[in-house]
Amino acid sequence: MRYEVRIADTLLRVETTADGRALVDDAVVAAVVTEVVAGALWSVTIDGAAHEIALLGRDPLRLWVDGIETRADVADERAVAAARRGGRKAGGRVEVRAPMPGLLKAIHVVEGARVEAGAPLVTLEAMKMENELRAPQAGTVTKLGAGVGATVDGGTLLVVIAPDTRG
Amino acid sequence: MRTCRDLGLRTVAVYSDIDRAAPHVRFADAAYLIGGAAPAESYLNGDRIIAVAKRSGAGAIHPGYGFLSENAGFAQAVAESGLIFVGPDAAVQRALGEKTSARRIARDAGVPVAPGTPDPVSDEGAAREAAERIGYPLLLKPAGGGGGKGMRVVRSADELAAAWRGSTGEATTAFGDARILIERLITNARHIEVQVIADQQGNVVWLGERDCSIQRRHQKLIEETPGPSVTAELRARLGESAVRIARAAGYTSAGTAEFLVSPDESFAFLEMNTRLQVEHPVTELVTGLDLVALQLQIAAGERLPFGQEEIRRDGVAIELRITAEDPYAGFLPAGGRLTFVREPLGPGVRVDSALAAGLTVPNEYDPLLAKIIVSGPTRLIAIARARRAVRETIIAGLPTALPFHAHVLAEPDFVAGRYDTDYVATHWSDARPPDLNDTAAQAAALIAVGLQRRTAAAADAAASAWTRAARLDARR
Repeated sequence: MRYEVRIADTLLRVETTADGRALVDDAVVAAVVTEVVAGALWSVTIDGAAHEIALLGRDPLRLWVDGIETRADVADERAVAAARRGGRKAGGRVEVRAPMPGLLKAIHVVEGARVEAGAPLVTLEAMKMENELRAPQAGTVTKLGAGVGATVDGGTLLVVIAPDTRG
Repeated sequence: MRTCRDLGLRTVAVYSDIDRAAPHVRFADAAYLIGGAAPAESYLNGDRIIAVAKRSGAGAIHPGYGFLSENAGFAQAVAESGLIFVGPDAAVQRALGEKTSARRIARDAGVPVAPGTPDPVSDEGAAREAAERIGYPLLLKPAGGGGGKGMRVVRSADELAAAWRGSTGEATTAFGDARILIERLITNARHIEVQVIADQQGNVVWLGERDCSIQRRHQKLIEETPGPSVTAELRARLGESAVRIARAAGYTSAGTAEFLVSPDESFAFLEMNTRLQVEHPVTELVTGLDLVALQLQIAAGERLPFGQEEIRRDGVAIELRITAEDPYAGFLPAGGRLTFVREPLGPGVRVDSALAAGLTVPNEYDPLLAKIIVSGPTRLIAIARARRAVRETIIAGLPTALPFHAHVLAEPDFVAGRYDTDYVATHWSDARPPDLNDTAAQAAALIAVGLQRRTAAAADAAASAWTRAARLDARR
């Protein structure tokens, strides 16, 4: 099976063979992988270089590598092929979700409003602090998901922004 | 609790509904449920805490460093119930806890304070008037409490309305008191505080300073002692000022006088924290003292066992606050379930933590998860140990401030000791995670693929089990 893996900004092509060997970018890698704590911590040696890797979180996959926290995105060959066929989905809408449960203290925009990247959207109170959630990119607010005073769960859709159409 | 065990004292913990599994509950000799998750029902419910203390046969209450630790009403209620309150008495807390009267005490003791409103302001019109008189930039500070909650910087008149709303709103939630003090903001300042300790016989000593300038939202992230840019002359002036304020207020127990120090070494008294502070371990590590033990001895009426000239400070100590916040998303706090934890060990490393795999970090309380405190004979050795400790630490399941600390500990200005309260804004806003070397990236890719295969295999197994079940159903 072939995979495309993006570690931070680096794209690596990984291939696993039936006999358990691994190739990275078409070169066989002499890697010894030991699972130290089941599902949580691994020791990997590659040509004598020792690395420790821990699973920090999934969706998106986050790994701890020798003290550095990094994003990892894995696409298997089917997903890669599907993505190529479909082409890049550019200019999709952006959903701003509650990063944690909390109380929606204030909404600073209305539906239909035009916002710049970084503009404050809502104020969410959690852990005794008020947190301003900001627009990740410029566009038009097409939907508000909850009203002022609402207690929201982590992941609740708060604001949808349609990006500016280019051209 | 560790100190109590050292001293042969038994401990009683109180906890809210969601803290049943928290470390303080497991560590204590006895533990009592005092109410629901909302602080007002549990950790801020003084009457219930006192009732539990009476029922358990406790002799004294240590208020810790959150919730009721600076609540004069609670200190008074404890004293009236016949128990000992470990900390300054209610009258002293009232005099110093209210920022206005604390500033008056400092001024009367000959200690400089920042220009500002003599009394708290409670409506926006009065705030605007005061602001024009004092001049921008300004700082809005809730009169009723500290910890950075509700503080806002106002750089110009058109920012005042929004800042006023935010400040009064947060002050009401956190302290139940919407009154605000307005002060001139001192720019390029260092936040330096002085630890004092006083017994009931009137002896007051200072135990050195801490530089706590590295903050976000006016809340501290890194504290160190000695302050890397504090000269012996400034240190002596700050120490003497802190002692003068403590004497003037009739202070007892451990306390901290906070100052803002300008680049020209002039300084202004900010406030007195009438409690043990989160960052007290750095002072313990360089002085070799146990501040909690001293608090307990003083509360029991004992004299301070040393005078000012007997206090020795050796080496450097640095504390890193590990909070449940995403430093790449404006330090947005986020609770969650800890899936895996590895704390650092080794020479010069102390960890004060509430971490354990499987624990859920609640959204209801402060995001502080753990403190990594390092010490060493020199600042560079302490920094090297801090880097090593941060690299060793793994906290999985929620975002933490660890990447921020890793960055700062390798950042030239911090390493040179050149920083002020603007540090986070000027040195972190565009920070990027460091790159992985080639084999580290390959190793990460292999683990990522392995995890993906496991997930896919589990999904396939679930799907085939479902198909089998469907077939069995069809056969019936």
